[in-house]
Amino acid sequence: MFSGGATTCARSRRVLRSCILAVIFLLAAGSAFAAEEKVIKIGALFPLTGPAAVSGQNCLAAVQTAADIINGKYDFADFPLASKEGLLDGYRIEIVPGDHQGKPDVAKSEAERLFNQENVFAIIGSYNSSASKPASAVAERLKKIFMCGASSSAELTERGFNYFFRTAATDNIESREFIDYIDYLNKNEGAGIKTLGLLYENSEFGKHAAEEGKSVAAGIGLEVVADVPFTVGATNMSSEVQTLKSANPDAVFGAALGSDYSLMVRTMKQTSWAPKIFINYCTGYQNPSINKELGSDGNFFMGGMGYSPEIAEVYMKAALPAQEIYRAKTGFPLDSDSIQESVCLHVLAQAIEKAGAVDTEKVAALLRSETFPSPLSLSGQVAFSPGGQNNKAFTVITQIVDQKYRTVFPESYADSELTYPFPAWDKR
Amino acid sequence: MAESVCSRPSNGGTILADFSQVLIDGLMNGAIYALVAAGLSLIWGVMDVINFAHGEFLMVAMYACYWLGSLLGIDPLFSWVLTGAFLFFLSAASYLLVVRRCIGRSAMAPLLATFGLSIFLKNFCLNRFTPNFRLLSGTIMEGRVLHVMGASVPLPQLVTALFSLVVLGCLYYFIKRTRIGWAIQATAMDREAAELMGIDTGRIFTLVFGFGGMCVGIAGGFMTSYLAVFPEVGALFSLIAFVVVALGGFGSIPGALLAALLIGLVESFAGFYIAPVIKYVAVFALYVVVILIRPKGLFGW
Amino acid sequence: MAEAGGAVKKTDTEGRIWLGLLAVLALLAVIPGAIGNAFHAHVLVLILLYASMAQSWNILGGYCGQISFGHSVFFGIGAYGAGMAMVRYGSAPWLGVLAGALAASAVSVLISWPCFKLRGHYFAIATFAVVEIFGRLFLVWDWIGGALGLDYPIMDDSWTHFLWSSDKTGYYTGAVALFALVFGVVRSIEGRRLGYYMRAVREGQETAESLGVNSTHVKLTAMALSAFMAALCGAFFAQYNYRVDPPMVVSLDMSMKFVLITILGGMGTFWGPLLGAAVLIPLQEYTRTYLASLGAGVDQVIYGLLIIFMMVRQPRGIMGFLAEFGILGGRSDSAGKEAGDASP
Repeated sequence: MFSGGATTCARSRRVLRSCILAVIFLLAAGSAFAAEEKVIKIGALFPLTGPAAVSGQNCLAAVQTAADIINGKYDFADFPLASKEGLLDGYRIEIVPGDHQGKPDVAKSEAERLFNQENVFAIIGSYNSSASKPASAVAERLKKIFMCGASSSAELTERGFNYFFRTAATDNIESREFIDYIDYLNKNEGAGIKTLGLLYENSEFGKHAAEEGKSVAAGIGLEVVADVPFTVGATNMSSEVQTLKSANPDAVFGAALGSDYSLMVRTMKQTSWAPKIFINYCTGYQNPSINKELGSDGNFFMGGMGYSPEIAEVYMKAALPAQEIYRAKTGFPLDSDSIQESVCLHVLAQAIEKAGAVDTEKVAALLRSETFPSPLSLSGQVAFSPGGQNNKAFTVITQIVDQKYRTVFPESYADSELTYPFPAWDKR
Repeated sequence: MAESVCSRPSNGGTILADFSQVLIDGLMNGAIYALVAAGLSLIWGVMDVINFAHGEFLMVAMYACYWLGSLLGIDPLFSWVLTGAFLFFLSAASYLLVVRRCIGRSAMAPLLATFGLSIFLKNFCLNRFTPNFRLLSGTIMEGRVLHVMGASVPLPQLVTALFSLVVLGCLYYFIKRTRIGWAIQATAMDREAAELMGIDTGRIFTLVFGFGGMCVGIAGGFMTSYLAVFPEVGALFSLIAFVVVALGGFGSIPGALLAALLIGLVESFAGFYIAPVIKYVAVFALYVVVILIRPKGLFGW
Repeated sequence: MAEAGGAVKKTDTEGRIWLGLLAVLALLAVIPGAIGNAFHAHVLVLILLYASMAQSWNILGGYCGQISFGHSVFFGIGAYGAGMAMVRYGSAPWLGVLAGALAASAVSVLISWPCFKLRGHYFAIATFAVVEIFGRLFLVWDWIGGALGLDYPIMDDSWTHFLWSSDKTGYYTGAVALFALVFGVVRSIEGRRLGYYMRAVREGQETAESLGVNSTHVKLTAMALSAFMAALCGAFFAQYNYRVDPPMVVSLDMSMKFVLITILGGMGTFWGPLLGAAVLIPLQEYTRTYLASLGAGVDQVIYGLLIIFMMVRQPRGIMGFLAEFGILGGRSDSAGKEAGDASP
């Protein structure tokens, strides 16, 4: 009994010793290995779950697409950093995802975690303006870079931040474009658009877009006759559409995401009503999967877009190969929102490359002062004004015809005639 | 530019047309809420359990109908039978696996357990089906609209509403006129007495949960013909169903129908004549007001 | 106050554990660098905050037996009190915090006085309705910012404004203070007349009334106190996140957190809220961050399964589990409390 015990005891001691040695060896090897890694970690903070999950997951895929292109060696025409593997002398980009679930408090703590725990160099995010605000406040307080792609609220770049950079057009810019277009139609085509209605989701994004729309409408004497916010995830849109129908505005500006957008379109069809012209902010209109699901019902609606596959075929050919990489990830072509997140990473990467070092102050200074070529941007360039707004952000107005996005404004980019007014539902 | 004219009613007929539209919308939406809430009312009436996962059952039914429609081409007009059956089993299974083990010990435990179930179902579907919105197109009823008294009545919603009345009628008949229905009523009134009478109340509870799920399964089947499906689709329907059941009164199917129609009308009238953004505020405010006057709901006992 | 011999002993043990815990927490605040800015610091702050929230709910739900799903309304009023002071009036938050807490108490009394006539599920659903009404009204109320919400300006770290960015020690100290306040209040109520009246009402309202307890008065007092505490937690939440908007604070999701944490920890017990928070919050935070690679929503799936498991296996929560194994016996009157034993 004793001898058996002693043998077992000795054996287990041996086992223990070898385990400890193995662990030490692995740790040493691991740390030695880690010391060789040249990695630039970039955080990607998006709503991967929750009501905006569709867009959030697309945005993450777009960021990963950009990382793939930068890290790999691709023979893309006119595409900065594609043909070089990685950045600087052999650094590769590693994307660290974070999910804020559509909640501003989670966005704040995720931003902190990404900077403090994961030691990311910068964060790209966060789609929802209400999440981007606290997350970028964290970055500003920590004096770290925050690149924002698709959050549309103009307030984000009116805060006087030094480390915040947004590439997409704001709802203010888009509103002006919509109004310019209406003015153009009135003057050149005798469209007679005199009244405006607004249909928007009652959230930070929708409310702010509507405020911008209302304030610029006054500029050309357009009268706002209907101001209709709606609850996200509503069970029906009967009252909303009926209120619009009874006010009967000539033009409507819309801000509805995802499922609300499809409900809105179908309800309008059921009540056999549409305004003469319906223009959308960046919403469900720009989402290719929604348009696929809506089919021909989605035709003749309009919206502001910084990208569509149709536009790319003509004006952004350099973006097409990138789109294929994205399509392999999601099954869909790039869309106007998610592409901005790609642009963010490409611009940031170029700034790092130019700075010659992974140094926040140097990179931020370059971001503030330089103009960067951007094959994924419609204008082909990105440059930031004080406060962080991309002053080369450019959108065109498109209309869906035969389920394809046709550019109608500005004239230099137009590839089709506008179908105006909105054809009656029963005559299509 | 294409020259087309949108149909616009003349000013004189607008007030009447608006009113009839609001009225019809309210009644239709109310009937649809009634179908969603019927199952919940039954479960609450018999077992005193609020099924927090009710909205998620609706969501699962809608996904089932969507997949049946897009993969197998079965129209919602027929697939409701299958989704109803599927939800019967899912609901009964939920009872057997989850609710049965917390019932009787506490009043809150089944509610919170079903809350956990709702989180599970919602995120499971999010993970498996992605958050993309699914819209079934090419169905038989799609896009058809009737015109009644100047109001547009979309066919999918109309059929859903009418069918809801049929289902509720059948459910009521079933409870009141069949032997199993009497057993259910007996169990609801006094469980121990029912046991003494030889009723297997455990089986009754399973059946009731199953029927409750079946009702919402049928609702989901029809609703897919006009609503987009996504993991969060059941959330607001769930809340409204709770209010319908509580407003109608514990265990009363006619109460649930009446409450649902009332809620549909209040939502519709407040939404148009006051402002669309407070239409749900009006619904919840209605509940609070009524319940203060009649603390057990309209028909509660 | 004189009690039976056995009960006095348990109070002493519990009292010693309580003071010991406070000492440890306070010590962490003063040791430089103990808290820092790591993710663990954030989780610790959240545990203390949610434990305080749960304990505030416990006053009404656990001790007094009124299951309310409406606490996010009071939470939200407190948050807006702080937010309005900081953003709209550009001043320090403290007066706003006090105003918010008092307003929350007042609102709670106003809405519950009619609601207390309701029983069981009717009361619960009425509280859902109240949350929905307030949540939607806040969304359209422009004076508080409506759907746009209130965003905090960038400021230097300070106690005056209770804002920190580079280090969480300030927030941690505030959280410990809040925790000490809420738990301290409950501890003192437990042994006082109000506490006994509350429990009497919970066990059987009619019986209590027949013994001369003014149940309405007791319930309203519990409600006002509960709402006041919840509002203080809301103010902390606003200061911590640099932003307030209606869906962040006045939502059913937030209301469920108040309920779930308390019930999972052990309703009607002193330690329940802390235990519940100590388990649920790390689970919530760490699964979100470490399981993100497994795909969307996996953390929530686990969360849902955990809730189901707890409710099926042990509705008395963690305290119930501990009682099963004979640890932390607890006070004789609270040890038998189950979720929902409250009189309907």
